[in-house]
Amino acid sequence: MIEFKNVEKKYPNGTAALQNVNLKIGQGEFVAVIGLSGAGKSTLIRCINRMHDITSGQLMVDNVDVTGLKGKQIRNFRRRIGMIFQSFNLVTRTTVIKNVLVSFVPDLPFWRKVTGIFTKEHKLKALEALDKVGILDKAFVRVDQLSGGQQQRVALARTLAQNPDIILADEPIASLDPVTSKQVMDDFKKINKDMNISVIMNIHHVEVALEYADRIIGIRKGEVVFDGESDKVTKHILNDIYGGQVEELKSSMEEKSAHV
Amino acid sequence: MSTIEKQLLASPRNRSYVLIVTAIVLLLFLWSLSVVSFKDVNQSGLKIAQNIMNGIIHPDLDLLLNVSKQSVLYLLVQTLAIAFLGTVVGAILSVPFAFLAASNIVPKPVSWLTRLLLIVIRTIPALVYGLMFIRVSGPGPFAGVLTVGLTSIGMLSKLYVDAIEELDTKVLESMTSIGCTTFEKIRFGIVPQLMSIFMSVTIYRFDMNMREASILGLVGAGGIGAPLIFAMNGYKWNQVGSLLIGLVVLILIIELISNKIRAKLIKG
Amino acid sequence: MYDKIFPPKQVVLPSGKVVLEKRSRTPLILLLMVIAIVWSVNMTGFDIKLLFRRIDQFFVIIGDMIPPKWSYFSSLWRALVATLQMSLVGSMIGALLSVPFAVMASANIIRNQVVVTVFKVILSLLRTLPTLVTALIATFVFGLGPTAGVVAILLFTISYVGKLLYEQIENVDMGPFEAMESIGMTRIQAFRYAVLPQVLPGFLSTSLFCFEGNVRYAAILGYVGAGGIGLLINENLGWRDYSNLGMIILALVVTVYLIEWVSEHFRKKLI
Repeated sequence: MIEFKNVEKKYPNGTAALQNVNLKIGQGEFVAVIGLSGAGKSTLIRCINRMHDITSGQLMVDNVDVTGLKGKQIRNFRRRIGMIFQSFNLVTRTTVIKNVLVSFVPDLPFWRKVTGIFTKEHKLKALEALDKVGILDKAFVRVDQLSGGQQQRVALARTLAQNPDIILADEPIASLDPVTSKQVMDDFKKINKDMNISVIMNIHHVEVALEYADRIIGIRKGEVVFDGESDKVTKHILNDIYGGQVEELKSSMEEKSAHV
Repeated sequence: MSTIEKQLLASPRNRSYVLIVTAIVLLLFLWSLSVVSFKDVNQSGLKIAQNIMNGIIHPDLDLLLNVSKQSVLYLLVQTLAIAFLGTVVGAILSVPFAFLAASNIVPKPVSWLTRLLLIVIRTIPALVYGLMFIRVSGPGPFAGVLTVGLTSIGMLSKLYVDAIEELDTKVLESMTSIGCTTFEKIRFGIVPQLMSIFMSVTIYRFDMNMREASILGLVGAGGIGAPLIFAMNGYKWNQVGSLLIGLVVLILIIELISNKIRAKLIKG
Repeated sequence: MYDKIFPPKQVVLPSGKVVLEKRSRTPLILLLMVIAIVWSVNMTGFDIKLLFRRIDQFFVIIGDMIPPKWSYFSSLWRALVATLQMSLVGSMIGALLSVPFAVMASANIIRNQVVVTVFKVILSLLRTLPTLVTALIATFVFGLGPTAGVVAILLFTISYVGKLLYEQIENVDMGPFEAMESIGMTRIQAFRYAVLPQVLPGFLSTSLFCFEGNVRYAAILGYVGAGGIGLLINENLGWRDYSNLGMIILALVVTVYLIEWVSEHFRKKLI
């Protein structure tokens, strides 16, 4: 369970990225964080695995105070949390399986880290993770020969190989086309339901968020302005989250659905 | 004035600039032409040209095909060894230089100073290094290896730097989120990105070093250069022919192989 | 080939699925590298201990070069200018001559496969000859002096620029060329208006780059009597006059740096 208690984050230049955030996210939830760009969606997500530090308040993950962790503790803590990025963040010049194997690196003895030779057991686990996202056949292909959607699945497999309790996703479909976006989102949904992994995702596409997520968190100027089940989201609420720019948003949504 | 005429006037904006640059280059060229003179070309020159061609067509087959220590084959193998080991030495030395010259790794002044040093290293002619290393190791192929190694640094580090400055650092972010230490991030995030480019660049340089190594014999640093020059100065054109044929064939074969390997490294 | 000798390993997943993993080539490559290094070390008499023991000798010479003898500049500047002139003339004529060679070696312009192959072979043969060897041969034919140097540089430029140029020509978009042929131009005219504009910036940039390199080559050609500053380098090395040598190298470094700077400025404009 993830618990935000009066969390506040200020940047050194004084701008408040998050303020007054109080949330409880239970194990196995699928949460979508929506809001304008710059509203603090990304910061919110990155605080959970300490990619960002919070300035005040308390952030508990499974009753561990995240703010108190240091050095090696942070790294061990992060092992249980997977993260997916907009730009996939893979080493494109090596094979798919080597990218997935990276998630075992911190557990290896030193000589294996230096030589880069992995155990058979780890290789099997990596292949299983690739099988779960349906790209087992690409295991020994170089990443730069894959499409964007396939690359995001490699990233997903890398995260699955970590065997995490929580997956954080920072705009996972922002650089994908609508069709591949749908496939990747289906993967997320499947992982969330079959393996009971919590998914916390920030996302631009409101219609996708409403379709897939169980729960929506709306953020405006660093504050949570909506928190509830996705079928409770009304046009009025969207209007509130997007600060009156919802008309614009709607037209862009219609445009997008026209493309699909 | 119609829009068409306006466009006509607007088009040759940089014509005068091009003209001026061309004129300056042409003037420099005409002035430089003064270094060329053909007054020394006489009957004997043409005769020698003919002899050279003749020698290349009728190479000294015995020299080309036997396997003693003076044979073309042995000299070629020695040149190959000098070029190979020199490239290895140069590649190893270039890595620290490259990181010290990369503006995204070290502070600006450090990278600037390293770059300046690299320019100096690159500009000093190989033959000068050859003579300096002979003071260290005595004449012979060892001096050749050191020379090739040092002259390789200039180009290798420059191309390594390009690869380092184009590093994709986003992958490091995802490795942070997995819980990797700095060492793990370098080993599994940076090394795989650089490995294939570094190898490709190094193989390319090996290709060039074959040519470099083949002239170092001129100052006594081993390889095929010395016998080649001796044969030329002694007007033994059929020996020159067999040495040149061996050298050209070897270089062409190496170029072919290195192009194949590099294409594979880039495409994967 | 490799996969036939070492057949791929089968990996069976717990789910029963089978994946074929190609055998890694890394062990073989590493083994070959180790063998090659050991063999070259033996062949060349590479001795790391000797290197560490006597490397100070290298720096002794560098130490002797500093400070350079400033007054020597008055006797070296003529040779320096001659070096630049040699490279300029050699590069310009060479670059111009490389155009017909490159055109004849382009498979998409010349229909006759034999001609194309012959010119490609000529260009690669020229490229394999070390500049110093061509320069030496040229001194026999053209006599001692800068003319021989110019010829050596010219030949190298033809081979270098020629190769890069035909690669560019073979990669141009042939659409415009066909369009111009279709409106009744000859192949030469079509080349002039369709292909030339596409390859011209690349050609100029390559030529400039080659010129930069040629200045460096020209500096050593004097070693075999082909003119330029190499003659002075040779003399001062012979006399062990390292402070003069230091001055020559300093002058060369500054000149090369300036030329690279100017050339880079223009090359950036071209691309």
